[in-house]
Amino acid sequence: MGIRFNQVSHGYTSFADGLYTAIKDISFEISDKNEFIALVGHTGSGKSTLAKHMNALIFPTSGTLEIFGKTITSKRDKKIKYNDIRKKVGLVFQFPEYQLFEETVEKDIMFGPMNFKISKEEAKALAKESLNLVGLDDSYLTRNPYNLSGGEKKRVSIAGILAMNPDILVLDEPTSGLDPAGRRVLMDLFKDIHDKTKKSVIIITHDMDLVYQYFNRVLVMNEGHLIFDGDPEKLFREKDLFKNHLDYPNTIKVLDYLNKSLGINLDIYKRTIEEALLEIKGAEKL
Amino acid sequence: MSYIEIQKLSYSYNEKTNVLDDINIDIEKGEWIAVLGHNGSGKSTLAKTLVGLLEPKTGDITIDGITLGEETAYEIRKKIGIVFQNPDNQFVGVTVKDDIAFGMENLCVPREEMLEKINFYAKKVNMLDFLDKEPATLSGGQKQRVAIAGILAMQSDIIIFDEATSMLDPYSKEELIQYIKTLHKDGLTIIMITHDINEALLADRILVMNKGKVFAFQETEKIMKDKETFTSSNLELPVALELANSLAQDDKFKEIRDKLWEYALTK
Ligand SMILES: Nc1ncnc2c1ncn2[C@@H]1O[C@H](COP(=O)(O)OP(=O)(O)OP(=O)(O)O)[C@@H](O)[C@H]1O
Ligand SMILES: Nc1ncnc2c1ncn2[C@@H]1O[C@H](COP(=O)(O)OP(=O)(O)OP(=O)(O)O)[C@@H](O)[C@H]1O
Ligand SMILES: [Mg+2]
Ligand SMILES: [Mg+2]
Repeated sequence: MGIRFNQVSHGYTSFADGLYTAIKDISFEISDKNEFIALVGHTGSGKSTLAKHMNALIFPTSGTLEIFGKTITSKRDKKIKYNDIRKKVGLVFQFPEYQLFEETVEKDIMFGPMNFKISKEEAKALAKESLNLVGLDDSYLTRNPYNLSGGEKKRVSIAGILAMNPDILVLDEPTSGLDPAGRRVLMDLFKDIHDKTKKSVIIITHDMDLVYQYFNRVLVMNEGHLIFDGDPEKLFREKDLFKNHLDYPNTIKVLDYLNKSLGINLDIYKRTIEEALLEIKGAEKL
Repeated sequence: MSYIEIQKLSYSYNEKTNVLDDINIDIEKGEWIAVLGHNGSGKSTLAKTLVGLLEPKTGDITIDGITLGEETAYEIRKKIGIVFQNPDNQFVGVTVKDDIAFGMENLCVPREEMLEKINFYAKKVNMLDFLDKEPATLSGGQKQRVAIAGILAMQSDIIIFDEATSMLDPYSKEELIQYIKTLHKDGLTIIMITHDINEALLADRILVMNKGKVFAFQETEKIMKDKETFTSSNLELPVALELANSLAQDDKFKEIRDKLWEYALTK
């Protein structure tokens, strides 16, 4: 077992307006292997809060969490090495700015691996390799991470986690800010890592096309509650997704429009453009 | 003379390479322009030169007849608002309310009016319940909404949105777009930098940036017919048009093709 939430709630207390419960009574499990999970839900529904629990960056205010056999409660436990958990579960933040702090891109990516007592040379090689994986060439190694474009920062922050080679990857909106080709390349990369190593990967996104194309399990958050856990197609077969502030993938919307405007009867549940194309070409009545 | 004129604009951060290279663009009053382009193509840099935050290495920017320079920067800033790519760059206050007020304060909007507008625009972006919160505690999408409200409240003639909706859920995005459409009808000039092709389809014209240069700048419908431009600039066509293109050979699919185009350009 990788990560298990047992009736986890998290309340933020702040000066300005007291207690705000961001996630409520959440229970579910993520296996340490073979999972490729999308986490979706409206703005402020609690996705990032949930993600930050997965590597014990924040603790539940009630309920418990098990991460690789360690039990996380609301209180810090001296016997638990939280840094070990953070090595096993790598988290990429929603805003790369919160993750980049060294003066060069190379040092930034090396930072994680250097904590594992590997040599500097090995860490350098890892940094270079990870940087290339996210689509940036070696010329970026010496750049200051603050002086990069938004999408370039995002890529560097992802490279930093890849270099740590964690057992479970949690990525908070890794594709926001990426150009369409980059989005494709990185999603294929995450999928490829998953396919080759069987590592579990959890990705937060608002992109329903990606959810439909890449994932076999989707979690839906709504006002702090986990309201769906299952097959994306089952989710997209539901009526009225808009009321949960979600949407349908583009293939479904386009095929549905063709059906309604031309009075035809295509199967609209097609994941990819290729599948949709086959459906249109094979239709009997046009 | 056009409303916004950019002539022979170049910019470089480090003297070595030009991040913007000989940009020449005219934009008319009331136009909606979408800006697409690969990561690092120069979109945000272009936006920052337009609002006078970065000084061009060469070239001129003229807005509503005023050429941008040290003396005119203040006057120009009254005409043009920008929602930054990273909302944190826009936050300076202790509360959400302060942050929405910040732009208006620089324009010396009277206090009474300011309070009214804070409420009006906070409501428009669904953040009315968060006015007293600390900006740092907001979720990603909530930060983007506050950043947008602050700029809308300045009621500038031109607004640049630099990936301003990239973290909004589909429903909030749609809601906001509907509102921006009404502002556009009332005459707002919009420059919208985005990686979301469906959002770009709303524009009158699309500017494609590639390695610091203008790769293409054309009417939306026209540019959508040019698959080359898209594939060579790390972009993707909307799903409906990918389908339409793949069905292009066969007369049998004419009706379907027309509907796919109709979907892309009206939905
Ligand atoms: N440190 C904090 N203090 C107080 N409230 C907080 C804090 N962090 C988050 N919140 C609130 O908790 C709720 C959930 O926030 P969270 O960041 O988990 O949402 P999210 O689903 O990731 O949203 P988004 O899609 O916009 O990133 C929000 O209403 C947010 O304002
Ligand atoms: N402060 C800076 N110092 C040096 N170089 C910079 C700085 N900011 C950006 N650059 C470089 O200038 C180029 C253009 O950056 P810009 O931010 O304009 O790109 P962009 O098109 O907005 O990209 P994105 O889609 O990733 O936001 C990039 O190659 C970037 O690395
Ligand atoms: Mg979030
Ligand atoms: Mg940018």
